[in-house]
Amino acid sequence: MSWKLVLALALVARSAPLVAQNGNGSGTTRLAGRVPAAALPAIDSIIAAAAAESLPTEPLVQKALEGGAKNIPADRLVNGVRRGLLQLRQARAILGHAVPGQSPPEGHVAAVAAALARGLSGPIVERLLTLAPDEPPGPALHAAADLVAHHFDPDSAADLLVEAHNKGLRGVRLLDVAVAADHELQRPGGRTPSEALAHVRAMLPNLRPGRP
Amino acid sequence: MSPLDPRLQEALDGERDPGDLPADLRDAYARLNAVTHVLKTTPPVSVASRVMAEIRENPAPVRRGPARRLIHWLGRPRAVTVRLRPVWTLALAAGLATVLLLPWSNGGPTPGVAQGIASFVGHFPGARSVEVVGSFNDWSRGVLHLNDDDGDGIWHAKAVLPAGPHEYMFVVDGERWVSDPLAGRYVDDGFGAGQQNSVLIVRPVSAQP
Amino acid sequence: MVNDGAPDIEVVAQVLGGDGEAFGILIRRYEPGLLRFATRMLGNPDAAADAVAESLVRAYRHLAQCRDPGRLKSWLYRITGNRCRSHLARRHMNDISLSDAPPPALVDGTDAWAVLERGEQVALVERALAALPAEKREAFVLKHVEGMSYEEMATVTGARIPTLKMRVHRAREALLAALEEVVR
Repeated sequence: MSWKLVLALALVARSAPLVAQNGNGSGTTRLAGRVPAAALPAIDSIIAAAAAESLPTEPLVQKALEGGAKNIPADRLVNGVRRGLLQLRQARAILGHAVPGQSPPEGHVAAVAAALARGLSGPIVERLLTLAPDEPPGPALHAAADLVAHHFDPDSAADLLVEAHNKGLRGVRLLDVAVAADHELQRPGGRTPSEALAHVRAMLPNLRPGRP
Repeated sequence: MSPLDPRLQEALDGERDPGDLPADLRDAYARLNAVTHVLKTTPPVSVASRVMAEIRENPAPVRRGPARRLIHWLGRPRAVTVRLRPVWTLALAAGLATVLLLPWSNGGPTPGVAQGIASFVGHFPGARSVEVVGSFNDWSRGVLHLNDDDGDGIWHAKAVLPAGPHEYMFVVDGERWVSDPLAGRYVDDGFGAGQQNSVLIVRPVSAQP
Repeated sequence: MVNDGAPDIEVVAQVLGGDGEAFGILIRRYEPGLLRFATRMLGNPDAAADAVAESLVRAYRHLAQCRDPGRLKSWLYRITGNRCRSHLARRHMNDISLSDAPPPALVDGTDAWAVLERGEQVALVERALAALPAEKREAFVLKHVEGMSYEEMATVTGARIPTLKMRVHRAREALLAALEEVVR
């Protein structure tokens, strides 16, 4: 093998990680000038790790851009991006457990990570993932997170969403379940969360659609 | 060519009642109105079929790529009276935010993903500027501004955004980052200071009944 | 699916979502005004039709760059104004096509305008308008024919409001003077 060929191969091998980083348009090029220079190497490393693990990198790029826009100090910014990577790993693990034997779509991993960020527990997430493994999980997960944010019991919230799904509500309509539950809770005269959920259950599947 | 009397110019600009003009200026006012009336005839032609033929022959590709390329704002909002509730609820949020229809994506639009309309409203009396910064514009400043044309402290705007979830915050007077109290959904931003991003879920227009 | 009465922002969203046919709603909505504007700018209905068609196709292709669908109208007029200026730059102003008929013979007096046939009035006004410099002609047409506010005109032309007011004022003076010259 001539030295020229060796050199060429070495150059290709050297550039491969950069290509992997920037392969989907994210990474260094978008972050340059947007995040503190001191944070760039660590952030690049985190994004590269995600790419190497076949995890979505866009949520991490977004988190870095967000931190830069908010003028977050470099160390906390890096920690925020690293936390995002951990959530993505956890999300894929939960998906693997809920739907074993299948490689989850990138969008599903990001959606589950977003649900974890909103405070949903792993078991609740896993339960909702089994509802319809082939459907994007985002709507059901956000609906559950909405219910939990309004102090409904997580398991009861998941029960209601499962029932709504079984009665034919899909996608965005599951978010309407959360809106309806909150409406019931806000009614004059007061209702307990259990009463509110019971009222919504009785209305299924005829819930008022959310407005545009 | 002699300059027109400023009173006539003001009347033509709608800044003075033409009834207040003296007779000679009223004649000139009437003459210019007659001129504009003549010019307002619409040509009896149409280019619609030729434009649509061109569009059908060469349709624009459905937008792909970062969400920041797909952002549109309604710049002239109507006056909105917002009764602010002490506790922000999903019901109010549902009235202001559109809701997702499938498919959800990883953050950027997927081929064929539809667009939806997001409404942003904030009560910031005394503010000089209010903008929205979020995942839909790569957290870029100076892109999406709210308006308060009537100066009542209610700032609002609309945007066409890709369907799906978006995180955002308001930035008031260029420096104060504020969660949207009407969002109804929040998520810790993960930077350790307890700051909450607002979460918006956008439904495509095509999903409307 | 959006209907013909849907607000601009909804139609824009529909088009950007892949429904090119929805752009027809925007064409129907804005074509009459754009054709009127372009005809007054170019003085030639065929050239105006070309300019408006080119502008609408361009608007469709660059719809995602309309950062403010609530001001779609201003954006469309801006594109059309630019297209008209390009057309004008390719030929001198003096070449603007007008009726070859001589100006009508008018009797002196304040009722001279009233005794003209409609077609003679149109010819008279078009001739006077065509004699204006393009910037003043554009400002006058946007203000008085298209009924725009100075704020909208600033969005369309990129000029400052005081500049636009000056152009409109001068256009009024020139038009009145031109009409009085014919009457005299």
